[in-house]
Amino acid sequence: MREFWKKLKSIKLAIALIVILATGSLLATLIPQGKASEEYFKLYPKLVAELVVQTGLNRFFSSILFLVPALLFFINLGACALDRLVRELRKKNKRRHGPDILHVGLLLLIVGGIVSFSGRQEGMVRLAAGESVALPNGEILHLIKFSDERYEDGRPKDWTSLVNLEKDGALLKENVEIRVNKPLRIGAITIYQNSYSAALAVAVSAPDGSVTTLARGESFEAEGVRIFFMTTEKKPGVETGEAQAVLRVQGGGLDGAVRVDSQGILVGRYAVATTQVLSTGLQAVSDPGYPFVLVSLILIGLGTALTFAQKLNDTLKEEKA
Amino acid sequence: MIATIGFILVIAAAAAQVVSLFRKGDKKESLSPWLMAAAAAAFLGVMLSRSVKIGFIALTSTYESLLFYSAFIMILDIVYRFQKKIHYSRIIGFGATIAALVLAAIASSPLLPKEALPPIPALRSLWLVIHVALSFVGEAFFVISFVASLAFLFTKDEKKKIDFDRITYTAVAVGYPIFTAGALIFGAIWAEQAWGRWWSWDPKETWAFITWLVYTLYLHVRLIMKKKNAAPSWIAVVGFLCTVFTFFGVNYLLPGLHSYG
Repeated sequence: MREFWKKLKSIKLAIALIVILATGSLLATLIPQGKASEEYFKLYPKLVAELVVQTGLNRFFSSILFLVPALLFFINLGACALDRLVRELRKKNKRRHGPDILHVGLLLLIVGGIVSFSGRQEGMVRLAAGESVALPNGEILHLIKFSDERYEDGRPKDWTSLVNLEKDGALLKENVEIRVNKPLRIGAITIYQNSYSAALAVAVSAPDGSVTTLARGESFEAEGVRIFFMTTEKKPGVETGEAQAVLRVQGGGLDGAVRVDSQGILVGRYAVATTQVLSTGLQAVSDPGYPFVLVSLILIGLGTALTFAQKLNDTLKEEKA
Repeated sequence: MIATIGFILVIAAAAAQVVSLFRKGDKKESLSPWLMAAAAAAFLGVMLSRSVKIGFIALTSTYESLLFYSAFIMILDIVYRFQKKIHYSRIIGFGATIAALVLAAIASSPLLPKEALPPIPALRSLWLVIHVALSFVGEAFFVISFVASLAFLFTKDEKKKIDFDRITYTAVAVGYPIFTAGALIFGAIWAEQAWGRWWSWDPKETWAFITWLVYTLYLHVRLIMKKKNAAPSWIAVVGFLCTVFTFFGVNYLLPGLHSYG
């Protein structure tokens, strides 16, 4: 038993496992990860593809090739940390706890990684201004506005979703910005600005200046005019870019299917033209492992810094002596 | 223009050191530290001016990263030159200058885009700046450890071996915590904020992890092996090659989330 414990906590075992983990990780970066099996047969000769798929090198970080050495490393690190901690605590003076904190941080990081891997959930939603979505905690996220800021050269500068949070009709948070690098944290859920898209809509402008925007499938009725936005299609003769809307119109001097683009047409007293409506892509993430990871990162930082500081202090004292 | 002057100053510093390498005796050459200080100031000045121009800390493009990395290697080279705690070796000082020169030469290459562009939304983060800056500061120490470990492997003088081993170890011991904080800790925090995932096993992340494992290996092997053993020096060489691949190889050979940096 003593011999087994000695082997379990040995630095030699740690060294061997580090070499295995590093080599495996290196191989994993040379082989495309997470593709369908048939893709590997297109990429490599049959024997190599078979080897990659059967051994799990195509999904290395969730395969036993990685998980078994990682688990062994966790056990080895745990045994080593425990053994070292006990030894340090037995000392009357000159205790050096930097490596202990670092090792505990690494253990917690692995725990956080496992919790994250098994418990992380995410979902995507697309919202146009005025639309809402119900969050798992019962709150309603309402998009007020989405803005796509650009630099002068046209490159993206920032994407911002301005939202309200409501629950049971009461306003909880007003005009909250969700931007890239500035997610919104609501309890265990974090909402990220993930993407955006532009959809073709139809703007119906009345003589008084009021504008009604129709999404596909929506209709407008007034003064005996009925406009129904059926679908979109490419403009004939135009290979890329501009699309046009197909409407079913009744009244206003028109009857039947009518095609409209950004130039617009008149339907009775109403000007009808296509327009772009921006939709924000918000990603909701629940990662129960992240708090562990955050604490572990702080411990790792503290541990490495303390190890270095103590080592430097010892060296300086030695030199003085 | 200022970057070109900086580049010329690094060449001059390297040339001054070449001359001193052929001189006999232990006398330290005194011109190159000033030339390197001026070159580093020029590179950092270029970064400052670009920062003002783009309205953000200019450390988001390959060009800016190369200037920062090169400047910090030179600063470290100067600190190493003037410190009195560990043995100063002219060959290590020269090796570090050559590393700074190579990076400056790549930065000066006409193939590398140099236009000062403000960053895209994902890169507009202070966490990213800390992540990149600390990673390169850590890697600058690894440059010193690389040169010292090569010197260890090539020398037959036992006393020099002990000196070179100590320099390698000191550089790794200081660089490792900084690299850990930069590449792994602040990298994970930024990734969580920008992408909603603190670790994605993207090629750049994986190579940073491999680099970290190799230096972890170095520290543990050094712990159990004798100081004259060549194994830690070989590991320090491999570790540095990993940093080079993480920076250049991954950017140009393995596409992923970090393809822009």
